[in-house]
Amino acid sequence: MERIVSDIVYVGTGVLVTLQLLVGAICIGIVGGLLMSILRYRGTCRSLINGMVSIIRGTPLILQLGLIYFAVPGIFGIKLTAIAAGIISFGLNSSAYVAEILRAGIESIPKGQFEAAQTLGIPTSHMWKDIILPQVVRNVLPAMVGEIIALLKETAIISMIGCQDIMRKSQLLAAEQFVYFTPLCIAGVYYYLLVLFIEFIGRKIERSEKYDKSI
Amino acid sequence: MIKVSNVRKLFNEITVLDDVSFSVEKSNIIGLAGPSGGGKSTLLRCIQKLDKPNSGTIKCDGRVCFMFQDFQLFPHMTVLENLTYAPALKNKTSLPAKLALEMLENLGIGSKADAYQRQLSGGQKQRVALARSLMIKPDILLCDEPTSGLDVATTMDVVTLLESVRNMGVTMVIASHDLDFLIKISDRILLLKEGRIAVDISPKETDNPVEYLKKFYSLPPQQFVETLKLSSF
Ligand SMILES: Nc1ncnc2c1ncn2[C@@H]1O[C@H](COP(=O)(O)OP(=O)(O)O)[C@@H](O)[C@H]1O
Ligand SMILES: [Mg+2]
Repeated sequence: MERIVSDIVYVGTGVLVTLQLLVGAICIGIVGGLLMSILRYRGTCRSLINGMVSIIRGTPLILQLGLIYFAVPGIFGIKLTAIAAGIISFGLNSSAYVAEILRAGIESIPKGQFEAAQTLGIPTSHMWKDIILPQVVRNVLPAMVGEIIALLKETAIISMIGCQDIMRKSQLLAAEQFVYFTPLCIAGVYYYLLVLFIEFIGRKIERSEKYDKSI
Repeated sequence: MIKVSNVRKLFNEITVLDDVSFSVEKSNIIGLAGPSGGGKSTLLRCIQKLDKPNSGTIKCDGRVCFMFQDFQLFPHMTVLENLTYAPALKNKTSLPAKLALEMLENLGIGSKADAYQRQLSGGQKQRVALARSLMIKPDILLCDEPTSGLDVATTMDVVTLLESVRNMGVTMVIASHDLDFLIKISDRILLLKEGRIAVDISPKETDNPVEYLKKFYSLPPQQFVETLKLSSF
């Protein structure tokens, strides 16, 4: 019993690392995805962005992580920490998926909304910020929550390059005790609790959207 | 106030506006009549610069605003926010809000300031759209089918409203398939058919303008050309 408690605490020290990866990657993913989808909608660098999105979505994440951690430093001479490499590759990867989610969201807004903003003399930056994106966010919220959950689970592959996240901690524990069942179950419970938490926050935001009352 | 010269507009090689020219005096109301697909909406969109003519020029003096057939109110904003958002970008005081409330009051929908668009009837949305356009103080107001989907009584209200807008010195071009409505409100009616101005009349100086205009709706093209030839004599 005592051992179980100490095992739970041990794997739990990986939660902070997993969350760091998740939050960092979400930030890059949302900013990158937003930028890509708006530029693409306006026709700026459309084929370049389409190509990037297609390649990122068409290759394994573990390969992208390997490229950024092992290959990029060799080429550019920059040494990245494991966690930095993780945040960058998960973030870039996520930005491609976010760009696709937002593309669908932006395309679901009637063209007349853009035109109405234009006829009222609303500048483009304000139009995106206050007219288009608030409507898009509401449309894509469930898909975004799904993307964040997928991202959380994918951060587990960071254990490949030795970052001590939830997954890695449970592997270390297993290697030390020669038992896999308990350490992996503990890691599973942590991940699942985090997923439930993200879903809870998503539902809360959905309900607090004042737009919800208006539809 | 508005000068349209030799405007031609094509969509996928199909001519939608064919050498359209006319000009509009200040504070006049011009009605755009004509069968569906005649090019009314396209002409208004070109004047507002939402569409670009393939050739020809359009010159407008002053600020132009466009009222969409389906209003295009911002659904995530209240009525008041819809009205004040654009003017508040330029005027950060409480003046736009004060003005907006006054305007809603005058339009008889003062109680709807905090409502969202889905809580409004067609006629109320129409008023909100009109008020939102007026908030940016346009010199020219373009209206696309302002009476579509409205009942007879509400249509009469729109006539009164638009007339009071004209009395504020606003020049208007109104596209509508509703001839009775256009005849009531317009100083001049242009009938667009197959992309051309087929008729240019002043309804007050024309005998039985409804009958006269109706002739251009149902006739097949060949007979239509004959009628045109006859009417020019
Ligand atoms: N964006 C567009 N793409 C292709 N064809 C269009 C487009 N907009 C209008 N048209 C065509 O132009 C013609 C004129 O349409 P419109 O200006 O809407 O007429 P009206 O408003 O008089 O009914 C129609 O045949 C319509 O199909
Ligand atoms: Mg039309």
